[in-house]
Amino acid sequence: MVLAATGDTWGIPGPTFITGYLVAAALLVVLATLHRTVLLGGGRDAFTAPMGPQQAAYLNGGPRLALYAALAGLRVSGAIGSEAHTGALTTTGPRPLGLTPLDNAVYDAAHRRVRTRDLGADPGVRSALDGLRAGLESAGWALTDGQRGTIRLWGVAALFLVGVGFLRLMAGLQNDRPVAFLVLALIAMVGTAVYLLTRVPVQTRAGRAAVRRLRGEQAHLAPALSPAYATYGAAGAAMGVALFGAASLWALDPAFAAQAEIQRQAAASGYSGSSGCGGGSSSSDSGGGSSCGGGGGCGGGCGG
Amino acid sequence: MTTPVNTPATTPAYGVGIGWRPEIAGVVAGLPGLRFAEVVAESVHPHAPLPDALAALVDRGVAVVPHGVRLNLGGAEPVEAARVTAFAAVAERLRAPLASEHIAFVRAGGVEAGHLLPLPRTREAVAAVAANVRRVQDELAVPLALEPIAALFDWPDDELTEAEFVTAILDATGARLLLDVANVYANARNRGADPLAVLAALPLDRVAYVHVAGGAEHDGVYHDTHTDAVPAEVLALVTELCARHRPPALMLERDGHYPPEADLRAELDAIAAAAGYPAVT
Amino acid sequence: MTGPLADRQAALVAALTAGAPVPPGFDARLVEVARTALLRKRAGEVARQWPLLAAAHGPRWPATFAAWAAARPTNGSVRDGWDLARAQAASGVLPRLAAEELAAREATFRYDGTGAVRRRRAPALARAAGAVAVQVGGRVRLLRRPA
Repeated sequence: MVLAATGDTWGIPGPTFITGYLVAAALLVVLATLHRTVLLGGGRDAFTAPMGPQQAAYLNGGPRLALYAALAGLRVSGAIGSEAHTGALTTTGPRPLGLTPLDNAVYDAAHRRVRTRDLGADPGVRSALDGLRAGLESAGWALTDGQRGTIRLWGVAALFLVGVGFLRLMAGLQNDRPVAFLVLALIAMVGTAVYLLTRVPVQTRAGRAAVRRLRGEQAHLAPALSPAYATYGAAGAAMGVALFGAASLWALDPAFAAQAEIQRQAAASGYSGSSGCGGGSSSSDSGGGSSCGGGGGCGGGCGG
Repeated sequence: MTTPVNTPATTPAYGVGIGWRPEIAGVVAGLPGLRFAEVVAESVHPHAPLPDALAALVDRGVAVVPHGVRLNLGGAEPVEAARVTAFAAVAERLRAPLASEHIAFVRAGGVEAGHLLPLPRTREAVAAVAANVRRVQDELAVPLALEPIAALFDWPDDELTEAEFVTAILDATGARLLLDVANVYANARNRGADPLAVLAALPLDRVAYVHVAGGAEHDGVYHDTHTDAVPAEVLALVTELCARHRPPALMLERDGHYPPEADLRAELDAIAAAAGYPAVT
Repeated sequence: MTGPLADRQAALVAALTAGAPVPPGFDARLVEVARTALLRKRAGEVARQWPLLAAAHGPRWPATFAAWAAARPTNGSVRDGWDLARAQAASGVLPRLAAEELAAREATFRYDGTGAVRRRRAPALARAAGAVAVQVGGRVRLLRRPA
């Protein structure tokens, strides 16, 4: 088994292999980035249509945040509630006018007392979410699954390079050749492959820009300002959830959010499968600044 | 202070305004005709950057007046220097044309009342308030307006009527009057007096601007809650006031239970109509 | 009723906030109305700073707060809510949702019960009535919910 190491592994000198390997890796990263840039650029007339709350929510936090946006709008409209003991959704009022397909599906599901966590499995809700996604894709705000698949192919190519590097490493170790550079290159390559395979964004640049622009325009909906959702109405509440995450739904109606088991951490910046954002609670030690001359109940004005 | 007492109202007419609150910042930002707003002075940091929405209002030329609620002008002790400095700094940051506070006390003996409390309407109290007002005026670069509060009870040793009390303080300090018609209404209703008579007795030529707010009755007493709709009686008082002496600005004060945007705008329109000012919505 | 204005103001504030007797000469009924209104207003202000604490008590919140606060002058709504939540945690009656809020607050801010509330710079782990929260770099995460 132990042969005299007469030559280079595979007949290729170490420095030559490492150089070639790094060139291949660099080329792959450049091509993958270019491909991403082109696809994410979206093109098409992405700026023409105004973006609705549920669309923004989907881009910002995926299907779950889109559902939460719908729940927020329906809750402010007084259309839905939740049962204290089971956490199931209920309808508490007539179906409001001007609902989106997703609103309608969620309202129907609430009428059947579906629980929030099972909403995603509800056929009507699921098809509404698919429709929402399709709309985002055709507006150039989101990538199609096909496009995301081709982006992921670069990750597969990176995996191939990882494999080649690994074989070379094994062989080099057996031949008792120095492998320090190769190990470093391999580590970097594994990182690249993982990134290319898992970080495949849903939003296009146009989608991301539209959400960012909305966040600027609708800054008054940031939970830190304790926005008066009754004032901003169903659309404002839905937009608040869409742009600032589930924290807005908790601020809107904590009792409902708790009963409906709304995930506090669901949301905020960039949906790409999973995302997290701490629900930081803002606080000031101001001791109340109301200028009521003779105050009655300045009670918490949340729909609950 | 050497400010002449009967300064003619040189302030330009601002029309109808609103109390800026973070909760309704989006509505306030969307009022195209808005030229006047008020912000609770203690909610603005004297040095940190202004909240974006507030800065945007100032930048678009809306007069934003700081309204203090915790200076304790009516306290028997001298007003706290740090609070006065912060108050003056906030007025400067907002580039405010004036600032305002209350004729009231909010703490005593080191204990916070958590509320604006009435003063005994005595010469002693006039002197205490006037001394504190002058301390504030010494640091403040702009005129100060003083607001008489809605009182749920009176002191047993009142020597002066409300109008005499307020006028004495204004005379002693040269301060302007921030007239809250809802407070006039609340006090008159709870004391069984005629709000029009109370109004007529006040020095209306010294009104810097006017508060309009809603209230509700609890326990047989009318409370100036700022969380309910503006009653028709208060709007009627606005009309009467403007027929006598139209102030340069009237503003809606709302501090909670914010209604739908359409209702808020309708209240602003109703105030504009009652005052004869153009709608700002 | 005589005496320096300062003392008389202090006596009135004590009657309104600390359960002291109404000073002579005042209309006791109206002072009581003002005291009740004051507690209602404070309950609303604390609810704004402690939304989950208030929500967890539901419709009983104003009465719960008023009962606790009747003889306690305010230290500002942040501290009032904090003190009430801690008191309820100590006596085992803090609702689940409120415990989560308290734990998150304890992890984010330092509050010794008598002084000002200060933001923690260092990461911190805090527990309150069965809830455990961790804060790193200003971000809070709930590690455990109360049973």
